[in-house]
Amino acid sequence: MSLTLSLDFQYKTSMEKLWSALTDANKLTKWMVNVHTGQAMENDFKPVIGHHFQFRTQPTEYWDGIVNGEVLIVEEPHRLSYTWCSGGEEHTVTWTLQDLGDGKVNLHLEQTGISNAQALGGAKYGWSNWCGELEKVLEQ
Amino acid sequence: MSENNPLRDVFDAIADPTRRRLIRLLAEAEEMPLHELTAQFQMGRTAVSKHLTILKEAGLVLDRKVGRETRFRLNAAPLREIQDWLAFYTQFWSTNMLRLNQFLEEEEE
Repeated sequence: MSLTLSLDFQYKTSMEKLWSALTDANKLTKWMVNVHTGQAMENDFKPVIGHHFQFRTQPTEYWDGIVNGEVLIVEEPHRLSYTWCSGGEEHTVTWTLQDLGDGKVNLHLEQTGISNAQALGGAKYGWSNWCGELEKVLEQ
Repeated sequence: MSENNPLRDVFDAIADPTRRRLIRLLAEAEEMPLHELTAQFQMGRTAVSKHLTILKEAGLVLDRKVGRETRFRLNAAPLREIQDWLAFYTQFWSTNMLRLNQFLEEEEE
């Protein structure tokens, strides 16, 4: 059993610009940063099926700072998918772009395969439930 | 066994619903003896005791002897690791999506 993270975002931009921001290595460093330190993650991403890439940042106490991936789907400018392997986890990230008209684009993110090998498989709670429950326990 | 170097992975410890319930029960009480905890489950003392041992190995439960009974209490600190682990996946993208927005706006100018 694995968990899926599903998020939607809307941007005032064009399909082409958003596609470029998601697939151009130089542009990726501008926004895909290590949220713990705010530092840029260097990468050698290419929107080419089968391409192996790496994102790298300073390691922290919890994370070695390395993400390895392989490009799975490239359907410019609608769909992009790649594996996302880090910290012993192997996930699949899929981006779906949808033109909403009026210069707006919806970006849908789906990240599947989220499971801690030993454990989270046994958990029945969804993401928000989990966080809520733990939050309560931690507040005690 | 120290809190920083537990015998068991905290994720392993919370994988079981009985153990998650034990954590919950202990979170609501300061300290509970085994017989009171057992009363909350449809299983025997030995089974509950085994679950408590697993929680102890993960550093989530502390125990002490009072006369003839053993009392258990929660040590929530190791749960922090789970929270950090979870927070990474939601925060990573939410924060980065805001940055993507900034980037797209800057490009527009």
